[in-house]
Amino acid sequence: MSGRSLDYTAKAFGFIEELDRLASPQAIIDAMERSFAQFGFENFIMTGLPHPEQRIESLVLLKKWPLGWYERYTRNSFDRHDPVIRLCRQTVQPFEWSEARNDPETNPRGQEIMQGAADFGMRQGYCLPIHGLNGFEACLSMSGPDLDLTPQTKPAIHLMAMYAFERARLVLAPSPRPNPLTPREQETLRWAALGKSAADTGEILGVTERTITAHIGSVCAKLSAANKTHAVAKALQHRLIEI
Amino acid sequence: MTSIHIVNDENRAGYEAILDEYFRLRHEIFVGERGWHDLEQPNGREVDAYDNEQASYLIALDHDRVVGGLRLYPTVLPHMISQSFAHLVRGQDVLSGPTILECTRYFIVRERRMGRTDCRLLAAFQQFCLEEGVTEVTAVVEMWWLPRWQQAGFNVRPLGLPTMVAGQPCIAAAIQISDNSLRHVSRLAGLRGSCLMRATGASTFTDKVPHVAT
Repeated sequence: MSGRSLDYTAKAFGFIEELDRLASPQAIIDAMERSFAQFGFENFIMTGLPHPEQRIESLVLLKKWPLGWYERYTRNSFDRHDPVIRLCRQTVQPFEWSEARNDPETNPRGQEIMQGAADFGMRQGYCLPIHGLNGFEACLSMSGPDLDLTPQTKPAIHLMAMYAFERARLVLAPSPRPNPLTPREQETLRWAALGKSAADTGEILGVTERTITAHIGSVCAKLSAANKTHAVAKALQHRLIEI
Repeated sequence: MTSIHIVNDENRAGYEAILDEYFRLRHEIFVGERGWHDLEQPNGREVDAYDNEQASYLIALDHDRVVGGLRLYPTVLPHMISQSFAHLVRGQDVLSGPTILECTRYFIVRERRMGRTDCRLLAAFQQFCLEEGVTEVTAVVEMWWLPRWQQAGFNVRPLGLPTMVAGQPCIAAAIQISDNSLRHVSRLAGLRGSCLMRATGASTFTDKVPHVAT
């Protein structure tokens, strides 16, 4: 092993130790800026991957992006067409932006987005997808005009990126939210998930069909669900019920 | 409801059928699904040199069906990291000690990967280790798994840089055993109490540690 790669190991471990002491998003941004600069990175963003009904702005954990690009990106909902975001959903391995192949036939805006980023100095990039528990999907995407991405640097960058993401997640984590559904609502929804009608469920639980319908209505309101099926899907996705 | 059973040399006689199914699933998952063909066995049971009287297993059972499992092995003995993956550890300085175990062959069957089985097994793992006086557990893990452990509330420190193993970036890491982690993962698993089952005859792990390390 060369002296250089030992050097990268020491740098990565030093960075990870430093992260442990950081308590604010800004402190993490500053530390990332310093440590990733040695590989040529100038910009980065840590964000959840939006579902169709979500806006990316609400999922950004932290960022150091040119303001003009961020405004253009969010105003135009570029995340819907960004080849990097698309590849994030398909792989668990980190990749270079150049590996996010774009087919102009199926995604005509992809090329425009990559070119737009390049115009802001984000010519090359490296992205780490995060596939966490309970369907949590996110990424840390980093870029610069000229990156030092080699088989020697990449393992260090991979590890540093993963711990930077984790530190930001911890620092920004909302306090755990209790299940918004009452035990009776959970029980009602569990029967719905098993295919029971409101009448069936009423019979099982010894209450009227109207009561069951009211429970489901309340569940739909709490979960912003359009109907019972939507509510069941959301409750399962967020682990509010178990079948 | 999934419960996690401790199986070791003391009580394995009561778990023969379950262990056989457990080894069959290991073959199905690690050879069949993950493609680790070095482990292939003609009898369709994935059993290696560390499946001996020193190993303890945590096996996730739903009624009598095996849905997941992991293996724990003393680090004071030659173990998988010291024998096969020392190059994943910074300076090849393998972490070992009487209160440190190695975890290998972690799996959840395919149809349970969307549910809470993962968190249940991880909760049982923390609880078992706390009860046994274990302080840290080392493992080689695929990099993309690391955030899952972290989100389960585990404090995981890297022991080296990511290294390609069987075409996947993997890392040697040490999981800290703590009450905090147990609380966090138990909440994610929706557990009010323990899901760890200890059939009689199972002695504590520390009684069994061979006296090769001082």
